[in-house]
Amino acid sequence: MTLLRRIGRLLLATLREIGDENAYQRHLAARGCQHSGAEWRRFSEERHRAKYANAKCC
Amino acid sequence: MKLLGYLLWGAIAATAAFCLGGIALIRGEHINSIWLVLAAACTYITAYRFYGRFVAARVMALDDQRATPAERLRNGHDFEPTNKWILLGHHFAAIAGPGPLVGPVLAAQFGYLPGTLWIVIGAVLGGAVQDFVILFASMRRDGKSLGKMAREEIGKVGGFIALVTVLIIMVILLAVVGLVVVNALKGSAWGTFTIAATMPVAIFMGLYLRYWRPGKVLECSAIGFLLVLASIFGGRAVAASAGLAPMFTLSAMALAIGIIVYGFLASALPVWLLLAPRDYLSTFVKLGVVFMLAVGILIVRPELQLPPFTRFVDGTGPIFAGKVFPFCFITIACGAVSGFHSLISSGTTPKMIAKEWHAVPVGYGSMLMESFVAIMAMIAACVLQPGVYFAVNSPAGIVGATPAAAAATITGWGFPVTAATMAQLAADVGEKSLFFRTGGAPSLALGMAHIFARTGGGAVIGFWYHFAIMFEALFILTIIDAGTRVGRFMLQDLLSHVAPPLGRMTWMPGVIVTSAMVVAAWGYFLIQGVRDPLGGINSLWPLFGISNQLLAGIAFCVATTILLKMHGAKYAWITFAPLVWLVTVTFTAGWQKIFSPLPAVGFLAQADKLVAAGAASPATQTLIFNARLDAAVCGVLMVLVATILIDSFRVWVGILLGTANTHIREAPFVPSRLQAEEL
Repeated sequence: MTLLRRIGRLLLATLREIGDENAYQRHLAARGCQHSGAEWRRFSEERHRAKYANAKCC
Repeated sequence: MKLLGYLLWGAIAATAAFCLGGIALIRGEHINSIWLVLAAACTYITAYRFYGRFVAARVMALDDQRATPAERLRNGHDFEPTNKWILLGHHFAAIAGPGPLVGPVLAAQFGYLPGTLWIVIGAVLGGAVQDFVILFASMRRDGKSLGKMAREEIGKVGGFIALVTVLIIMVILLAVVGLVVVNALKGSAWGTFTIAATMPVAIFMGLYLRYWRPGKVLECSAIGFLLVLASIFGGRAVAASAGLAPMFTLSAMALAIGIIVYGFLASALPVWLLLAPRDYLSTFVKLGVVFMLAVGILIVRPELQLPPFTRFVDGTGPIFAGKVFPFCFITIACGAVSGFHSLISSGTTPKMIAKEWHAVPVGYGSMLMESFVAIMAMIAACVLQPGVYFAVNSPAGIVGATPAAAAATITGWGFPVTAATMAQLAADVGEKSLFFRTGGAPSLALGMAHIFARTGGGAVIGFWYHFAIMFEALFILTIIDAGTRVGRFMLQDLLSHVAPPLGRMTWMPGVIVTSAMVVAAWGYFLIQGVRDPLGGINSLWPLFGISNQLLAGIAFCVATTILLKMHGAKYAWITFAPLVWLVTVTFTAGWQKIFSPLPAVGFLAQADKLVAAGAASPATQTLIFNARLDAAVCGVLMVLVATILIDSFRVWVGILLGTANTHIREAPFVPSRLQAEEL
């Protein structure tokens, strides 16, 4: 049961990483600021600029 | 305990050898797909444990006491130490595109054996090594890109060639994946509606994320997923509606123009509105479908209907022409060896590796996982009846323009199929016809639907077919959008030296002009593919495979240079051997595609045949020009890579003779302070 819970947590964390939610939490922590719509927009613009400077793999 | 370990690894290796031997030697009866699954899985596990760790320990001398760029340059954005399993999932999601799904389906025209062996052996000794060594090299160089490493380790020529090769590959890639979508959707109201509906769904997700629930990506993606599922059901209703069906039943040319217009508009729209939300959604759907397919194959354990070899190993295949050597090895690129992966391995991932040893699962392990996806695609293609497989994938120009003629031709090859069988199958999946749907996606969707439907009742095969089409088209459209955008950035960068305003990313006229230029480039090849009487895939997919493998050649040149600088000749064979193989394969394929006297294979012979036929209509003139253009593109790629090979060879000889600079441009050693519990 513990193993299953661990796998579930890991899976969720992976999905959050792929979905940039973890990166957003790190962004908030690094800047010491609170979540807000404006902060998310600032973060996602920076994130997407870096992310989509590279092609998607075939 | 040690003995138990030996026994366990011995058993896994023996299972791999037994299953590989089994699939290679069993003749005259259908084999179960589990043979392929076990052969691949046990080979990967053994290779990972022994070869991967050997390269990591002896060759790279990975050191967890050495701080990685993620730790030294930590900034909360690009550079961030990340849990290795999370990074494994992230990297796998980044490298797994349509390539490992489509390539094996097309290569199945040779039978299941050549492609399967190439996928397994190529990944273990080539693809995974490339990804791993480039990831390692980039990680030791503060996350530098392949182009920068090529410039530093080989010379300026190498860096420039890497850039130009990537640009050409992208043009060919975008055209060929566009063609895959066109061929999957032509004449299909259900499919076209479903894919069209994903665009407003993505825009809704973009607005939801930006204004209504900022930051809730998983929640938003779950809603998006439900909406695209609803669109599949909506598509069925549209296809059944006498009023709506004609609006969504489009010809190949109309779809191609639609995709070109879409590519132009999407690449000029803000990223948050369409690209990013659909990218999230398509990545999650992709991971989910790969998992479902694996579970489905394990539950159903279908028998392979295609033989180990077909008569088309002699080069007369209807899907693409050319003998099993070299064409099997360029048709399957992603899944065995993909040069494109070297861009990902020297992109985001090296900046997120927390400990050096994490590069083994992330670099080597991810590629093995992708290779397993390719094995599953091969299984999905081979569970179809051979006659059905060839009926779906063969162009009308080869098998005959009517269902009856096509069925007769394919039956004549020894793969029985009737027009009535195909009509029934089309009706089962809610389509008007499944003939001449070249490109691999429809036959993959059929195979997947076949497997999924057997786990959940055959009545829903139409849903699963369109679910699979939606899944493929979703991330192909994301590739088109992102690729056009990146092509525009590269072009703006190049043109800024001539006209500085064009280099400004925020100057709208510059954005529009450069977007139009990139779209025109890949759009031209897409239209060429649509007009091609042989279905387009016959020309474009080999061109794409050659260019992708040539990029892998560049990556191996960089990797070999680095290994020579680190150890002299001792371990250079690790990357040099796959390089020799790839150069042999790609240059043979490239030479044949240009100069083969067979019109079905050689571009120039194809042009000469059309000239000799004497028809001077504008359409024929265009076909002649296109064949010569394809030959020129192929030739340019070969010359570019030959240049980098010669340049690398010059550097290698210098290193071995002690006349060249052997300075390793790694970042200096800094002790790691990162604790395990921080990850």
